[in-house]
Amino acid sequence: MLDAKELVDTKNSTQAKKIFGDREVYEQELERIFGRCWLFLAHECQLEKTGDFVTTTMAEDPIIVTRHKDGSLQAFINSCTHRGNKVCTAETGNSKSFVCNYHGWVFATDGSLVDVPLKERCYHGDIDQSQLGLPKVRVESYRGFVFGCFDDNAPSLEEYLGDWGWYLDTWMVGAGEGMELVGPAMKSTLQCNWKVPAENFVGDAYHVGWTHAAALEVLGGELAGLAGNSAEMPYDDLGIQVTTRHGHGFGVIHHAASSIHAKREAYDKYLQASIPKVAENLGQARADLFDGHWNCTTFPNCSFLYGTNIFKIWHPRGPNEIEVWSYVLVHKDMDEAAKKEVVKQAVRSFGTAGTLESDDGDNMVNATTANKGAKARKNRMSSTMAQGHEGPHPVYPGIVGSSFIGETSYRGFYRFYQEVMAAQSWDDIRENNDSWDDIFDNKDYWKNKLAGDQ
Amino acid sequence: MNSEEHSALSGQPVDQATHFEIERFLVREARALDEERYHDWLDNMVAKDVIYQLPTQEVRYRRDRKTIGNAQTTYLYNDNYDVLAMRVARFDTGFLWAEDPPMRIRRYITNIDAQWADEEGEVDVWSNFIVYRSRAQRDNVSTHGRRRDRLRKTDGQWQLASRVITLEQRVIMDKNVHCFF
Repeated sequence: MLDAKELVDTKNSTQAKKIFGDREVYEQELERIFGRCWLFLAHECQLEKTGDFVTTTMAEDPIIVTRHKDGSLQAFINSCTHRGNKVCTAETGNSKSFVCNYHGWVFATDGSLVDVPLKERCYHGDIDQSQLGLPKVRVESYRGFVFGCFDDNAPSLEEYLGDWGWYLDTWMVGAGEGMELVGPAMKSTLQCNWKVPAENFVGDAYHVGWTHAAALEVLGGELAGLAGNSAEMPYDDLGIQVTTRHGHGFGVIHHAASSIHAKREAYDKYLQASIPKVAENLGQARADLFDGHWNCTTFPNCSFLYGTNIFKIWHPRGPNEIEVWSYVLVHKDMDEAAKKEVVKQAVRSFGTAGTLESDDGDNMVNATTANKGAKARKNRMSSTMAQGHEGPHPVYPGIVGSSFIGETSYRGFYRFYQEVMAAQSWDDIRENNDSWDDIFDNKDYWKNKLAGDQ
Repeated sequence: MNSEEHSALSGQPVDQATHFEIERFLVREARALDEERYHDWLDNMVAKDVIYQLPTQEVRYRRDRKTIGNAQTTYLYNDNYDVLAMRVARFDTGFLWAEDPPMRIRRYITNIDAQWADEEGEVDVWSNFIVYRSRAQRDNVSTHGRRRDRLRKTDGQWQLASRVITLEQRVIMDKNVHCFF
């Protein structure tokens, strides 16, 4: 059995390099992380009408998500209970049923087996269809974002998101309508471990000025000053980063939603016009975050940039490969022309041909392959930036770091990673609900800092 | 040619001399891009009002006739001249780590079919391509696809007025496609 404390050292904030490529680690992740956590499946805007379906994967398990005739959302494993063939090979569409290409078994949109060819003549009527439905997956929706979970003992999606939901509401509720996804998803492959982009999105604003220097400079937005780390910037005053229970986290650059790109008048106008309504709905603290630029990961593998508005799922395909699925986030109540502009900009920066996307790819692949060797994989990686410059905050829930650049949310991500990898079940995890943030021991950080600022 | 004569030609295959010019244009364009002469490409081969698109395709059943390319859909490329110029400008910053050491790219353009467009002096051109990208030590990827171009003759020179690219791969088997097709 793997020693989770060896994989992640929360005190010194290091991780074993082998977590990026080891087959045994990966197999345990499939069971304990992807087998237990809530995983993003689809957005309800893809499943509006009865019979609408989307196919996706939960880690490597193929999944069909549907809008069933009783109006409920359903999800089940896309593998025939007869001889294991996929029963649906399209990625989206509308259908009353799913007919397996192999022998013609017919499954309804809730996964139940409704017809078996030659049932009387060849099975002699001796088949219990009620026991042969496609295995169901728990489905719950949060503000239109649909997640699935294999583990019946897991908390509800709302509990799983916890304080992270408080932050997500900033734009998932926002001015009232919330946000939806624009597809089709752009899909590409990356020969990297799934955690490399997941940790990058949860807490790596550090790389932005360097990795993306070329793109930032030519995009010419307000954040062009980050390019090459050359500008004098008061990093501690520009934003914060946060980690919450269950490893979710984000960093926010205040009032910078559109600052990566130049010329986004329509979007800026929409954001500024919406802020009073957000304040009315959710209070001033979240209204202040509404026009920020956020880099985020919902543990384990759903990442997004609010502001740039790209929404990504890192589907693991083995320890050294992922499929990247990228959608665009748009505010539902924005006018069509402004939405179109947001889609264009998001895709130009972080789509498969995006200028910033291409900067990241090589780094993520090389961060995986460089750790394969017999010596390198025994070494450790660090995520110690601004450790101690973080703590509970009087306004913001979770643990809040001093700056948008820091590694607070790395520490939270890997603390939970360690916890899930060690736990025998969700019961073990629940026992830590009140003590999870003990590793962030500078409890008075914000009290002292805010007092000093006055 | 008057406009009446022109409209009678619309949709007809171009003559041999024109076809030869177009084929030479596409080959010269491919070589300029292979040789990273991006400014030469932008300045001399691309019209200022160019539309450069690569829509995202979905795998759907035949009975499902939803069309792609409506207002709210994703494109891998949905660029105008300024955006293409911005992509090129990244090479000039000295910060483009992913291209340093440089990639090696070869473009193969085949199956060229050209016909007169409805606008005078313009042709619609279909072509297939293979783009072979080699990076670092053993990072080699071939991408196959098709282009539908609108070419326009201005001052005796052909220029790219629009390009719609389709890739046959649904999941791009590469870390990105940030190169010009």
